[in-house]
Amino acid sequence: MKLQHRLGGIEGLGPIEFQKRVFVESWEKRIFGIHVAMMGLSNHLGESLPKYPISKVPTAFKSFWTWGHLRVGAEAMNPFDYFKFRYYEKWLGGISGFFVSEGYITQEELDARTAVYLEDGNVNAAPLPSKPNEAIDKQVIKYLREGDSGKRETKAAPKFAVGDKIMIKDVPPEKHTRLPGHLRGKTGVVSEVYEGAYTYFFQTGDGIGTPMHCYAVAFKPEKIWGKAMSDPNSTFYADLFETYMTAA
Amino acid sequence: MSDKKQFSYDTDREIYSAARVRALEALLIEKGVISDKTVHKVLGYFEKEMGPFNGAKIVARAWIDPAFKSRLLKDATSAIAEMKLPAGMAGAEGEHMKVAENSQKVHNVIICTLCSCYPWPTLGLPPYWFKDPTFRARMAREPRAVLKEFGLDLDPSVEIKLWDSSAQIRWFVLPERPAGTEGMSEEKLASLLTPEAMMGVAKVAA
Repeated sequence: MKLQHRLGGIEGLGPIEFQKRVFVESWEKRIFGIHVAMMGLSNHLGESLPKYPISKVPTAFKSFWTWGHLRVGAEAMNPFDYFKFRYYEKWLGGISGFFVSEGYITQEELDARTAVYLEDGNVNAAPLPSKPNEAIDKQVIKYLREGDSGKRETKAAPKFAVGDKIMIKDVPPEKHTRLPGHLRGKTGVVSEVYEGAYTYFFQTGDGIGTPMHCYAVAFKPEKIWGKAMSDPNSTFYADLFETYMTAA
Repeated sequence: MSDKKQFSYDTDREIYSAARVRALEALLIEKGVISDKTVHKVLGYFEKEMGPFNGAKIVARAWIDPAFKSRLLKDATSAIAEMKLPAGMAGAEGEHMKVAENSQKVHNVIICTLCSCYPWPTLGLPPYWFKDPTFRARMAREPRAVLKEFGLDLDPSVEIKLWDSSAQIRWFVLPERPAGTEGMSEEKLASLLTPEAMMGVAKVAA
């Protein structure tokens, strides 16, 4: 497991920067917009619930790109590097690397174009090429409005009911996990069984992807951190996929 | 708190990133991956249509209409759909939302220890502090100390409930209606809300 898989509870970190802005540099807005566009043009959207007409959208983007892919990139980082880069710096590294490795652009042209903008000086205001394509924009906004729900019908009965005592498995996180490290091996009580089943963007090595039940599980903090290290009179709830849970 | 410590880097680093992202966007436009307006339209969507102003209206409605509030707590998605808000309230990152209600005895806080899951249609995009690894690490284990640093000193008798968004639900908090707001219009009430109050790190001031 990597440090970014188990951030919860790390000691000795010092005060938090209460930075209320969403973007602290204007360039960050651009990488955010590119990521959203990639999600809204992803080739899997033809099979998603809104059944987007994705094959008819006139974009050169033909790849599968979701939150899951962005997270795989962040989880693949050297754990110490993960903390050296600001949030959107990680996005910029991951997304530009993706476009190079998928062959949309070459590293050489990215470097050369970067150098041109660097020379220009006033980078954030530098003009972009003029090339309208309303059909692309329409699909991206349609994706934002209609989403990509992971909820699916299921005939399978949930394995657990409200009030059941469960233990969290300690499965290897592989390349991507939705199981917070601090809950591994801990016991909790099911507080809600969510209706329906939930898929994930793709099958992960640790067992999510096929539609399965999801639960809210309540943990007593002393069961997670030990009594001396816990806040009294608090409860830690986590939303969890069924595959991560076993009867306790 | 100043912006100077964790969120300020030397200018070279920022200029390099700005040039890098400009280069990437220019190449993607030239190659027909996105259009020259795609990023602009995405940003406009969050500036004008999907932001904490939606959550504020929902909370204000719940404060004045108890029947709406109980529907909101039971099934947030359908209750929100009753309101006249922009199309897309169950769209990206809001497909499945739940609302946690604060009271005199219970204080809720939303977190995402694995990444930055957040209910986009109701709260917009998450502020930097929510995405900060230090916040994600510390709030999980020592919520009282963190809330105190954020200026919220809770009585020990108040139970804190932390909601870690590790699967498919996106949470937000229904804060307590402040005293002295009796008779206020729904619109005026909505203007009192902040993203921080709807995330559980602040109370609403009248």
